[in-house]
Amino acid sequence: QQTVKGVVKEKSSGEILPGVSVVVKGTTRGTETDFDGNFSIERVNTGDVLVFRYLGYANKEVTLGTNFNLTVLLDESSEQLEEIVVVGYGTTTVKDATGSVEAITAKEFTKGNIVTPENLLSGRVAGVNITTSGAPGSGSQIRIRGGSSLNASNDPLIVIDGLPLSGINLSSINPNDIESFSVLKDASATAIYGSRGANGVIIITTKKGRSEYSLDYDFQVAFGEIKDRINVFNADEFRNIIAQQRPQDVGLLGAASTNWQDEVLQKSVSTQHNLSVRGQVFNRIPTRLSVNFSEIEGNILTSQFDRANVSLSMNPSFFDDHLKVSLNYNRAFVNSRSADAGQINAALRYDPTQPVYDASSPFGGFYQHINRTPGGILIQNGTRNPVAALLQSNNTSNTFRQFGNFKVDYKLHFLPEVTATFLVGFDKSTQEGSFFNPLNSPANYTDLFVGAEGSFLNEFNNENLDAYLNYTNTFGKVKLDAMVGYNYQSFNGSGNNTGNLRNPNDAGFTTYTNTPVVLIGFIGRTNFTFNEKYLLTLNYRRDGTSRFGPENRWGDFGGAALAWRISDEDFMKDSKVFSDLKLRASYGLNGQQEGISGDLYLDRYRFGNQGSGYIFGGNPIQSTIPSERSNLRWEDVATIEVGVDFGLFDNKFTGSINAFQKNSTNLISDAPVADGSNFTNRVLQNIGDLQVNGLEFSLNADLIRSEDINWNFNFNATYLDREIKELALGQDITVGGIAGGTGNFIQLFREGFAPNSFYVFKQLYDTSGAPIEGAYADLNGDGIINTQDRYLKGNPQADFTFGFQSNFNYKNFDLAFNLRASVGNYVYNNVNSSLAQYDLLQDNAVLGNIPTSVLETNFNSTSDVIISDYYLENASFLRMDNITLGYTFDRPIKKFASNSIRLWAGMQNVFTITNYSGLDPELAGNGIDNTNYPRPRTFLVGANIKF
Amino acid sequence: CTSDLDITPQDDQDLLGEDFFANETAYKELLAGVYANLSLTGVDGPGSSNIDGLDAGTSQFGRVLLYLQTLSADQMIWSYENDPGTREIQRNIWNADDPIILGMFGRSHVTIAFANNFLRETTDAKLDERNVSAATRTEITAYRAEARLLRAMSYYYMMDLFGQANFLTEDDAINQQSIVYDRAQLFDFIEQELTAIEADLADPMAVEHGRASKGVAWMILAKIYLNAEVYIGQDKYTECIDYCNKIIGGGYTLASNYLHNFMADNNTNSAANEIIFPLISDGTFTQNFGPTTVMINGSVGSIEANGAPLGVSAGGWGGALRVRKQLALLFEPSIFNNDTRNTIISTGRDIEITDISDRDQGYILEKYSNATSTGSFGVDQTFVDTDFPLFRLADVYLMYAEAHLRGGAGANDADVAAYINSLRSRANNPQNNLTISDITLDFILDERSRELHWEAHRRQDLVRYGLFTGGAYNWVWKGNGTNGIALPSNLNLYPIPSASLASNPNLTQNSGY
Repeated sequence: QQTVKGVVKEKSSGEILPGVSVVVKGTTRGTETDFDGNFSIERVNTGDVLVFRYLGYANKEVTLGTNFNLTVLLDESSEQLEEIVVVGYGTTTVKDATGSVEAITAKEFTKGNIVTPENLLSGRVAGVNITTSGAPGSGSQIRIRGGSSLNASNDPLIVIDGLPLSGINLSSINPNDIESFSVLKDASATAIYGSRGANGVIIITTKKGRSEYSLDYDFQVAFGEIKDRINVFNADEFRNIIAQQRPQDVGLLGAASTNWQDEVLQKSVSTQHNLSVRGQVFNRIPTRLSVNFSEIEGNILTSQFDRANVSLSMNPSFFDDHLKVSLNYNRAFVNSRSADAGQINAALRYDPTQPVYDASSPFGGFYQHINRTPGGILIQNGTRNPVAALLQSNNTSNTFRQFGNFKVDYKLHFLPEVTATFLVGFDKSTQEGSFFNPLNSPANYTDLFVGAEGSFLNEFNNENLDAYLNYTNTFGKVKLDAMVGYNYQSFNGSGNNTGNLRNPNDAGFTTYTNTPVVLIGFIGRTNFTFNEKYLLTLNYRRDGTSRFGPENRWGDFGGAALAWRISDEDFMKDSKVFSDLKLRASYGLNGQQEGISGDLYLDRYRFGNQGSGYIFGGNPIQSTIPSERSNLRWEDVATIEVGVDFGLFDNKFTGSINAFQKNSTNLISDAPVADGSNFTNRVLQNIGDLQVNGLEFSLNADLIRSEDINWNFNFNATYLDREIKELALGQDITVGGIAGGTGNFIQLFREGFAPNSFYVFKQLYDTSGAPIEGAYADLNGDGIINTQDRYLKGNPQADFTFGFQSNFNYKNFDLAFNLRASVGNYVYNNVNSSLAQYDLLQDNAVLGNIPTSVLETNFNSTSDVIISDYYLENASFLRMDNITLGYTFDRPIKKFASNSIRLWAGMQNVFTITNYSGLDPELAGNGIDNTNYPRPRTFLVGANIKF
Repeated sequence: CTSDLDITPQDDQDLLGEDFFANETAYKELLAGVYANLSLTGVDGPGSSNIDGLDAGTSQFGRVLLYLQTLSADQMIWSYENDPGTREIQRNIWNADDPIILGMFGRSHVTIAFANNFLRETTDAKLDERNVSAATRTEITAYRAEARLLRAMSYYYMMDLFGQANFLTEDDAINQQSIVYDRAQLFDFIEQELTAIEADLADPMAVEHGRASKGVAWMILAKIYLNAEVYIGQDKYTECIDYCNKIIGGGYTLASNYLHNFMADNNTNSAANEIIFPLISDGTFTQNFGPTTVMINGSVGSIEANGAPLGVSAGGWGGALRVRKQLALLFEPSIFNNDTRNTIISTGRDIEITDISDRDQGYILEKYSNATSTGSFGVDQTFVDTDFPLFRLADVYLMYAEAHLRGGAGANDADVAAYINSLRSRANNPQNNLTISDITLDFILDERSRELHWEAHRRQDLVRYGLFTGGAYNWVWKGNGTNGIALPSNLNLYPIPSASLASNPNLTQNSGY
């Protein structure tokens, strides 16, 4: 008899696995691997079989031969049922989950040019839509099931390690620190977040410390370029079109040939470094420390985003794991210089026959349009040289953000079924910014050189406290898991702005302090599992918010979910097709109060700022007005949902189908109030209903799983239909402000239609199919074409969205790509509608370029055509977000037991197939294409080095 | 610790009512807030607004008034018709969804709400409770009268433009559904209210500039009586003359120079004795996109770039405003060549406007200016220092004459001629010795246009003369015809904005809409 020793590691990453159960088959003898993955079992013989079991991994049997010093590699299980899923205030397993909860872990993350964490999820989860602009480090618009509000927020709640954030600003967080996402979609799962769960919840878990030492270093460099241009006339074409359309102005043409879009766009080089170290401190405290440096260059001249992150995580356990302590602390430093994306519009507008530079120009050597009168001065309302506008304005901001958590889990010594958890967290950020334009820039120029100089400060503070008790026990066939808790959170914000110090008539130094927001919740949850087949979850939360007056302050929210594991029934046990089948149904009630002002119920007065006073007898007096009043209450969002989770052919294919209906009632909507009865003509009121119907389908397939070849793909599809059921007083609400005219809008909220439906005139066409300028259908047949002939057509929300991700490995090669598609989303081309008219060849007293799409319409006057449905386009698209190819060198340095180097290359924004005529069919915001920061195509190369 | 849910506003610009009224200066500041709603659109700069549903700057009281009274008639054209509502107003094709109409209805009712709030917060009971000093309480008596005057003035404009209004007083609670007063009820209310407060108001010009004196109450009364045939179908010309006489006897005098009324220092130059009530504008303290800012920047020519002498940027707003042919023709006779009221620039321009978006067409004018009478300029090149003269003495002279010609008692021919000639003389017009036989109603209508054009009176005048609707008098672009076409008579009133109608079912839409 001998003693067998060994180490257990994760097969693909080589990471050490502690806590793996090792048993000699047919006996009760066995052990668990220690923190370093080592195990040792005495009294074994050749021929004995060791069984290795570990949560989330396939069991492995090893027959002992002559080697009694083993290295055992465990493969992640295709059987993911035991995989842990993080839910609100606790965890569950895939098997026991009753709700529509999707967990995305590192191996499933979307690859490519990931600068901000939410992009790890792009296209990955049915019902989740993430739209990020091309600006470096910009935030994203995240929508889960389209959102459930009109005037309140449609952003999901984001929770990092138990700390709910204010808003969805993740750009200062290092994506490399993220271990997993849990996306909670159904009302039963989100109800535990009560007043904040209505738009779904994304729970982010960061990477934690481990006892074994490892060191990872990632490096990537990205080369970006915006390939597309908005088609405008080039210099020669422009000379021709001026000669044709405005012969009287030929004298205004210049002699240069400038492609202004080329001048304001630049190729970019960006780098990211990530270094993380894991290991045990003082032989006691598993720790992870990571550092990130990102230098991201934008593709509009001068735009830059630099970030440095430090993240520390310590997770010691004491008293035989009875006391677990978890500490996370993150610091982020972001320095960015923002470039005005509106300068792309200025670039397409600027006269291409004029040069960028003009040595004689008083404006810092940049050419600017000067009035045609002799000794002329700068033309006030004309477009300004966009290159000068970018180079001469220096708008920078430095953000310092720190957030962290301290969490204690104590499993009671005298009652180990009960765990008490106490968690405090905070998120503080300070943004200091400055803006500067030199004296010789035309900024704020009104016949005098003023320039601009000033600074601003924004400070936010979010503090959170959770305390909860968890009780888990099994009574025969009944498994019970219950939780009660308390949550307190407060949000504060303040800041100031100096205004333009160079301009004596500027509004001057202003400060603001947000009305604090305090949220208090009492939480309860019970999970019953009967016979491991029938599952019931009940959630309850009583929430109080400072946003509402005492009589409306508290709300009760909750949900119930049932699940039936059909595949565990006797009649299904032997099914060759269904390896797993679970039927789910849930109903839940969430609240919503985010995104609206929090003091409307108070008797408040507001006095005018510096420029908004009155003058009595020549003396300025602080004019004071009563502020609008409204007694608001919670928005209610009730969701009913049924779903099926399935696994086919030994879980080679797994997936789920969900059908749901969300009904938002008492929507807070900014609606007319009887004139004279309030201190404004519209106040937020709880009037309005919105219904969202949806279907979601997702499929994960392990098509090939063999020694050398692995091929996995994931596909998801979402159908969404949102309809406003009721609005205050049945009144339309105008939304969607557009460029071209002061106060123009293009969208409506109207009963019976999707939110933000486009409100346009129906263009008439001549016999040859060309649009007739200013001719619209008289839809109400009253013989007059006026605003009452506008109609609703299309909306920015896609009917269908699809995501497709493929991961392919052959030996040490890996190849992954992502596709996304969107069908039925409409975009209003505001670039063309506000600019592609011949009248705009005159840009005040000078000439201006216009999009060549004018050749298709021959339209002259913007005001005649701007609201035409001609400019509303179906912007369905199919896009390949990224493709990456990598090769891993296994243990290139033999001196160390485990190490690897992966080299990879990839491309972001590979192609987009669309009929949309503008630059990009995919827009954050609400489908209005104007001054959007275009997305570059990016080539990436990188290396991941592990020790 | 659920008591943490009781929050208070932390911004230093916000105050809870109890804290605000703890200081006795609050009452004057609150009164300033009621006045300021006529000048400012919101309290957070010129881009902020107390009302929604239209562009903040456009919602300024004087601006929407100018659009509804002047742009809708025969004196003015706005070039940028992609600014919502402008096209419909100036072509007389408006409907109940028009944002400018919404702006007028909403803005005026907010003044009513502010005034009611002032009255609610200054009752004897409240003042007792807050131990307000006797000195302050004396002042508050006048303040309350002014708040009631501003409320009555708002109802006057509602009566004139819409023929009805939500009727609310200080006794109505916030967010309470209101009753509606029709024209006759509004007429009675305005008449009674202005008479009732007269004693508490200061004598003409015996009050700080920017506040309303008895003169303003008299002016509103004179106006409702002059237009009483339109409002209530009754002849009240005698009453009109009565109040014109009160105003004239109140000590107002014509500015030495007509143009002083429209300059950056019209609060201090000779116009200070002519302007009965100004809408304050100041480039530093009262920034707004109101009528003077719009007219001074907007009247800068697209060709001329003549902004510099007007105290704004040379290019101004690139020719946003121009003159309709009918106004230009009134100044065509040679006697008006050197009339100071003729500020039309026609050189290199054609009188016709065939394409509204072509800013090189049509004449422009230089009536308003951000320059001062002493040759300096307003402090800001966009936000002008020029107050808008909502009511001024010259108007009273012309009303007096008209009421006399229309049969009112209490006036005489000699005074009529003297007043008209004083306007002519002041304008350096050689024809300044008109006799009563020269002065006909038609003459007065034309002279009102020459004297008061672009001062937000024209629609009211044309309605009173029966010329606004129908086809007896057509001007360019009237009814959306290049040379003008007849308008249906229902256009004498504006429609109730659909949002206002929906939010108060007691309102009924005006006929024809």
